[in-house]
Amino acid sequence: MAKSYGWAGKVLQVDLTNGTINKVPTANYGPEEFIGGVGLNTKIFWDLGCPQIGAFDSGNPLIISVGPLTGMYGPFGRGEVCGISPQCYPDELFTYSGFGGMFPAEMKYAGYDSIVILGKADKPVYLSIHDENVETKDAADLWGLEAFEAQKVLMNDEPEASILVIGPAGENLSRIAVILNETKFAAGQGGFGGVMGSKNLKAIAVRGTGVVAVAKPDKVMELTRTIIEENRKMNWLRLMFRTPYTAPQETKDIFARKYFRKQYGCYGCPLQCHSIHYIPGIGLCGASCANWLWAPIFSTDPKEVWEANVLSQRLGINTFEVMGGIPALLALSLEAGILTRKEIEEDIGLPAPKWLGGTATNHEFLTVLLHKIANGESPYAEGTARFTEYFRKKLVSGEKLMDLYKELHTAHGYAFHHVDNLGSALHWATDTRDPIDSCHDYKNPSVPEANEHFGLPPYDNYQIVDLSKTVYQGAERVAAWVEDNQCIKNSLPACEFWSMIPSFYNPPQIDLRIFESSLLSAVTGLDMDADKLAKAGERIWNLRRAIMVKRENRTREDDTLNEPYFKKAIKCYGGTATGLVNGPIDKAKFEALKDRYYELRGWDVNTGWPTRPKFEELGLKDVADELASIGKLP
Amino acid sequence: MRDVPKSALLFHDPKVCAGCGVCEVMCSLYHEGVLGPALARSHIVRHPFTGEHSHITCQQCSSPSCYFACPLKDKAMHIDQTTGTAYVDEDDCTGCGMCVGACPFDPQRIKINVDKNVAFKCDLCKGREGGPICVEYCPFQALKIVSKDER
Repeated sequence: MAKSYGWAGKVLQVDLTNGTINKVPTANYGPEEFIGGVGLNTKIFWDLGCPQIGAFDSGNPLIISVGPLTGMYGPFGRGEVCGISPQCYPDELFTYSGFGGMFPAEMKYAGYDSIVILGKADKPVYLSIHDENVETKDAADLWGLEAFEAQKVLMNDEPEASILVIGPAGENLSRIAVILNETKFAAGQGGFGGVMGSKNLKAIAVRGTGVVAVAKPDKVMELTRTIIEENRKMNWLRLMFRTPYTAPQETKDIFARKYFRKQYGCYGCPLQCHSIHYIPGIGLCGASCANWLWAPIFSTDPKEVWEANVLSQRLGINTFEVMGGIPALLALSLEAGILTRKEIEEDIGLPAPKWLGGTATNHEFLTVLLHKIANGESPYAEGTARFTEYFRKKLVSGEKLMDLYKELHTAHGYAFHHVDNLGSALHWATDTRDPIDSCHDYKNPSVPEANEHFGLPPYDNYQIVDLSKTVYQGAERVAAWVEDNQCIKNSLPACEFWSMIPSFYNPPQIDLRIFESSLLSAVTGLDMDADKLAKAGERIWNLRRAIMVKRENRTREDDTLNEPYFKKAIKCYGGTATGLVNGPIDKAKFEALKDRYYELRGWDVNTGWPTRPKFEELGLKDVADELASIGKLP
Repeated sequence: MRDVPKSALLFHDPKVCAGCGVCEVMCSLYHEGVLGPALARSHIVRHPFTGEHSHITCQQCSSPSCYFACPLKDKAMHIDQTTGTAYVDEDDCTGCGMCVGACPFDPQRIKINVDKNVAFKCDLCKGREGGPICVEYCPFQALKIVSKDER
């Protein structure tokens, strides 16, 4: 057998119901076509038949993949989780959630490109992976422990292992529970912590002592020079995320001077964009971009900001949902006169701090809310969408609360974040979750030279976010380019901040695609060029669409945003989001934009379904055949 | 006993080390053309809940037991006259493992590459222009070289 480069070579399949453990070659899933990460996950889910079951059904596969660049020097130390997501609303959709940290590289050194978890254990277990040796072990003593504590206990038995764990929120099937590695690295959006909990799987501990061969080490070494040089230009980002960047300078200074310990980040990455802070009595934890968003809306007090972050991580709760979710909804409801302090306290059952018109401390509010979520208490643990749905029927102003929810949440049950222009609005509409991990693509190629280079029309960057005035023409090309790019990025895998490499866009001194394909070729030995890589991105996006069509009956009617976006300006809630919708999106123009998008994609304009010629062009004839057999090929 | 010069040394500052593993990735890539700490000459042991990571590599002993234990001394294992480090010549090393047994540290800082059946250890990137690759690529200057004269 020819030596394998770049990929670890095996997919690990674990069925927790019957305890079977299989290892199959990654080659079975066409890694050259689907690369890794999201691409591999999507292919695996398709091959499993896209089961039409709920997120907490034992048949929901939890698929975790790394990619051919994982373990390399650079922003590639990532993995991707896919499966049917309990957080998506109103329907539970197949979606993705990326995470960084140490686990992805360790998993690869253990010999696995993917881990596929099926079934449900009859009692709490954890999965122990030591290179070839894989077994499910009893986790009775871990069940109930918070995420940090569980890792610490497990590390006694599994020294030097890297651990993916769920906290009480995941165990108790919260729909906004994360899967966590160390103190900070989480597969956050999607609610896959709850999926792990539904399988009675507390943790996955992996220890890898193998290595991954590289096809052309000299070429790889040469390309690392570019990464090291570009990384130097990113120091501003590391500095920005070192402290709560949305808080007043005074708060930032206290963190920088008093609590900052050191930089922190994913394996092999020179940026290390996270930081570790320690506050006595609250604890040591990592933080980066989204962890800081608690400030300044709710508090600028460093200890309250830090407690919010640390407690969310320990309990295994999606920090982004904690801040952009229920608290933001309540605060805006109060401001808009939809809810009163009394209703918040008595009907909703949460102590109201100052910003909710009450006298409770932030500590009281936080601990009550977070513990309700972690304990799986309905409706708090269900995520903001289902929380609102619950109170819609209970409260006099329930309908208004629902309207407000729809403003704060753009589509698919996910909170507003970076709806920066028509391109990203369209991407939000066609995805199954918030396309946060592409948001920088919509604002980075903001110089005409960069857009021209990538064959894109000039379009408004995030500083010009008035969607009522923005250019509709050409937004379809921007969205399609970024969607394909998202698939490539999440499959190599490369960090979202990879898209912020200055020379990729300002103006392009380095062609992103040529650089990525050179690196991929040097690592894997494949003859990959920019066009083939772009094709791979398009292939993955089309296969994701095929899953939506087959499993979720997706049609063009579903490719939309919540109604308020077509009716009014949307107010961004402080630190919870960036990008403002200064006026309503013109519904008719948006529908015309979708027409052009489907045509560009080679999809049917009436249904929004991909066509046979497009599938065959992408080497997905079998997918076309399957969809034809169920009457879903136009 | 032969006179062995003092060696230069890799110094690791645990206060600033982020535990990112760039040093081990670049080491394994440069020396072996692979990715993975298992074949890196230095290794980070991470402590994510204290943030204090330790760096496991050759301590460049002034009287290197590995060198003295080598049955093919000055053939399979040499002393670099410039830096003073003991280094392995892969062409002559038989992978007997005497050096590994002689290393006074736990875990041993010289290991056997089972595929090649030779010993490997940090030789401070002997012959590399610009010195050790880990020092060059460390994002936080957590690694530096202490010359034999400064030691």
